[in-house]
Amino acid sequence: MKKFTIGLIIVIAVFIVFLMMGPFYIINEGNQVVVTRFGEIVETHTEAGLYFKIPFIDIVTTYPKLILSIDGDSQRIPTKENQFIIVDTTSRWKISDPALFYQSFKTLEAAYTRLSDVIDSATRTIITQNRLSEIVRSSNLINEEESIDPSIESLSDEATDQISSLINVATKSESVYKGRRHLTNEMAIEAQKMLPQYGIELIDILPRQIKYSDEMTESVYNRMIKERNKVAQAYRSFGEGQKADQLGKLEKDKKRIESEAFRTAQEIKGKADAEASKIYADAFSVDPEFYTFWKSLESYQETIPLFDASFSTSMDYFKYLYNARGR
Amino acid sequence: MNEEKETSKKKQMKFSPGTFILGIIVLFALILVFTSFFIVDATEQAVITRFGRYHKTLGSGLQFKLPFGIDKNYNIPVKVVQTEQFGYKTIKGGITNKYSNEMFRESTMLTGDLNIVDVEWIIQYRIVDPSAWLFNVKDKQKTIRDISQSVINTLVGDRAILDVMTTERSNIQNNAVEMMNENFKSLGLGINIITVQLQNVVPPADVQAAFEDVNKASQDMERFINEGLERYNAEIPLAKGVADQQIQIAEGYAINKVNRAQGDVSRFLAVYEEYRKAPAVTRDRLYLEAMEQIFKAKQNTTLVDKELQNILPIKNLGGAQ
Repeated sequence: MKKFTIGLIIVIAVFIVFLMMGPFYIINEGNQVVVTRFGEIVETHTEAGLYFKIPFIDIVTTYPKLILSIDGDSQRIPTKENQFIIVDTTSRWKISDPALFYQSFKTLEAAYTRLSDVIDSATRTIITQNRLSEIVRSSNLINEEESIDPSIESLSDEATDQISSLINVATKSESVYKGRRHLTNEMAIEAQKMLPQYGIELIDILPRQIKYSDEMTESVYNRMIKERNKVAQAYRSFGEGQKADQLGKLEKDKKRIESEAFRTAQEIKGKADAEASKIYADAFSVDPEFYTFWKSLESYQETIPLFDASFSTSMDYFKYLYNARGR
Repeated sequence: MNEEKETSKKKQMKFSPGTFILGIIVLFALILVFTSFFIVDATEQAVITRFGRYHKTLGSGLQFKLPFGIDKNYNIPVKVVQTEQFGYKTIKGGITNKYSNEMFRESTMLTGDLNIVDVEWIIQYRIVDPSAWLFNVKDKQKTIRDISQSVINTLVGDRAILDVMTTERSNIQNNAVEMMNENFKSLGLGINIITVQLQNVVPPADVQAAFEDVNKASQDMERFINEGLERYNAEIPLAKGVADQQIQIAEGYAINKVNRAQGDVSRFLAVYEEYRKAPAVTRDRLYLEAMEQIFKAKQNTTLVDKELQNILPIKNLGGAQ
């Protein structure tokens, strides 16, 4: 009985010691391991779960199976037309072959250094071979759509046409043949060429940001300012032109209105004069001699009082002044 | 007494390992309970791994798993909409949010016409596949930010600066959602982008004045045009009125002239009618009446005798007495 108890205790103790030496290990989801024995790779596991190893002799190195990120350095790179831009890339990669990876790097840090070099060099290679617009743009969308400044939308079509012909001179951008997406793929392919022997799979290289180098930024700002000034000038001068046009129209319309009124007035007066003449003529031609007599008398009554006159008694009026028989 | 002491000692000796074992059992039971039951919030789902391997995904409520770390649970908020801000940062959220947009670094980008623009935006996403979210990508937040930045840069890089600031905004937003989801799907991130919203899209500070000047210029343009119209409207109606006046005056003249002519003629014809009946008498009468009217109207007129020939009549040249 006592012997049995002691035996049981020994068995349990040995079991506990065995367990404590760690023959079992767990690979968590998202990890993968390389097992080495005396420096030799004996096995690799990429599936999560519970695994067995020989305690003290087998060494387990764990690597992530997840997709990892790495930032390229913000590099100052000249484009094909020798404009310096700063390209900030980011990429995703993963360890596709843990055994190869173990042989090449052992630690993740070493891999990051190497990867960073590869990515930077691939980025540089592709960007120096291409024009800036190829890197910035992905398609020719920009040339397809007529961009209309919203501030002139309120104007008539004709005015809009006029002003956009002023503003949009030579805004046609150069055509893009490859475009950003294509180039980033090229970068990834270029980089991938240097990587398979390391057990690394590069998933993508993405330019997170592209900007002008500081000295270029200055001149780009100046260009933008000049461009805006040009547009502003066009608006103002167009407005003033429209105003001048309107004032000219004003002058024209005024003259037209005035002269038309004058002409009409003269016509009306002339017609009236003619009608009056006709009325007189029609009536007076019945007996012109009597008319002359009658009109003369009428006229004398109006005009004689105005003269400072002396009268002679030889007038017929005074015929009976000297005798009753007349003269 | 001695015997009694002995027995009580024996009792103690007997009980103490029992209590010890009981204590261990209780402890064991407690650990069992605490490591096998867990709570999943209504906004969450729990991913269970067994020996590190993905086992299953559980919904909300009180859930059971195998104890002692055999099963592990990861609670993932799947109903919560998460937000990432780009180009600015909410320093302090509240009724009035405070923002910092000192982050020129990520908001500056190139447009398709090779201009520079500052774009701020947010994305909102939700985790849709908890196990994918946990086990596929390492630096998740960084990946989300990187992809989002790259997509917005790409879309802005394909358009002219004015379009980016105005008409293309919604297009960019829609395309961004699509492109980001495509990217995240291919990486197996297990999230779904709900919205991408562009916030401030402005030209860089150094050139903003020039951009604003264009707005002012277009206002000026309209002002000039309106000034022209105003002058036109001020003068033309007046000129029209004056013209109408002249025509009215002319018409008045015409009516006057014709009526007078007709009046004169009527009088003449009336007199002539009488004259025809007795010409000689009427003629004399008319003459005499006329003369009478003339001399009546004139006072102090000199009458010169017809016999006084070649004599200049002496007149009172002053005229006034």
